[in-house]
Amino acid sequence: MDTADIEAKVIQFIAAKVENLDVSTINRSSKFEDLGLDSMDTIQLLFDAEDTFGINFDSEEAKGFSRVGDIIAYIEQHQASAQS
Amino acid sequence: MRIVVTGMGVVSPIGTGTEQFWAAATNGVSGIRKITSFDASGQRSQVAGEVAGFDPATFLSAKYIEQTDRFTQLAMLATKLALEDADGLDTYAPERLAVSMGSGMGGFATFESAALRKFGNRPIPPFTVPRTMANSAAAWIAIKHRIKGVNLTCSTACSSGANAIGIGLDLLRTGRADAVIAGGAEGCVLPLTMTGFEVLHALATGSNADPARASRPFAKGRDGFVMSEGAGILILEKEEQARLRGAKIYACLAGYGQTCDATHIVMPDMSGQVTAMKGAIQDGGLGPESIDYINAHATSTPLGDIVETRAIKTLFGDRARDIPISATKSMIGHSIGASAAIGSIATIMALHTGTIHPTINLDEADPECDLDYTPNGAREKNPRTGLCNAFGFGGNNASILFTTLE
Repeated sequence: MDTADIEAKVIQFIAAKVENLDVSTINRSSKFEDLGLDSMDTIQLLFDAEDTFGINFDSEEAKGFSRVGDIIAYIEQHQASAQS
Repeated sequence: MRIVVTGMGVVSPIGTGTEQFWAAATNGVSGIRKITSFDASGQRSQVAGEVAGFDPATFLSAKYIEQTDRFTQLAMLATKLALEDADGLDTYAPERLAVSMGSGMGGFATFESAALRKFGNRPIPPFTVPRTMANSAAAWIAIKHRIKGVNLTCSTACSSGANAIGIGLDLLRTGRADAVIAGGAEGCVLPLTMTGFEVLHALATGSNADPARASRPFAKGRDGFVMSEGAGILILEKEEQARLRGAKIYACLAGYGQTCDATHIVMPDMSGQVTAMKGAIQDGGLGPESIDYINAHATSTPLGDIVETRAIKTLFGDRARDIPISATKSMIGHSIGASAAIGSIATIMALHTGTIHPTINLDEADPECDLDYTPNGAREKNPRTGLCNAFGFGGNNASILFTTLE
């Protein structure tokens, strides 16, 4: 999956967690808390990504995620290493 | 102080919304079909009462759908319909509104799919527990509608919905709430759950080729119940307050009887059923001679229907043959924790419209089931009182009495 596909998927997962969220406002620099994601939503988001992209988040590293771009970058990096 | 029903919502295999449900019920329509929600070719019982075309996206946001099991979604649609029907509960403070729900299994669709993942060494979704827990339907109803008072879930197998309504009656009588959203929901047309009932020889297995005939309470040759799903919700209020806000009133919830057989974990016992019915009638200040209609538990199991017939004969004596009885499950199957909530709606509609719905598939009755089960055709009887029975595994017996306002 290329970057645009990953971004689109992650945005779709986020949109399913917050009521009345305008998806056009979501970008890589969006902070989870600004989008209205609570800690449970973030856990579910990581699960969605693991399940879809066949990766496993390092739980210590994932604790430091605060922006949409953090997740996308991790997926890109680990999807690439899984394929190489 | 009388407790009245001011709103109803039903989601069932024969219709969503009271109007559609009641039209199908009085016309004797079967909602039993071949199972479509999973590949049932390996099941001994391959038929069920599914809510065809149910789409939570028509009334819930993606967030709610992601975090809720199917049984909660069924409950939330029934609640939405009931609240719209009652029209005006916002006159009460949120802390004075209560939810009393029943479910025999809870979120088993979530549980079964998570189990499949876990045993396949795949991760399970973070919301597995909050989706599975039996009180999730009650909790989500509260979240969606900002209902901040008492929030309870009763899990007594097949009688869960009846007990939830009975508890709702008690909450109003004791002053713990001003209005109660009460009922039951179940969504367990599922491979593991159904297999669990199959190995108990509880499900109908001989009508896979003729689904509409599979559920036949009181009929000769019946061979078990048909699994189904759905939800039924009543809005209960104190009569005085309901009148004050100008609510329409369907019926009085007049009495509730509850007993435990204390004999066997799954086999029914007649005496416990008799005492539950008697308790409901006495609780409503009436005697057995006043009962005009019985919405039977009647699941279509060989033993259960005979025991309930004997219980009715024991309590009502010679009059038993004169009381019209009907089995809602002949049309919709057995929706476990939702069944008595839906049966209550059928009972209330009988009082409200004067029509008693039929027991379908009753061409030839079991010789041991020799009462008037309203076979195959609806009847105009204008009942003024009706009992709704619900008997569950665990020897749990509940009976609810509804009356007209006169």
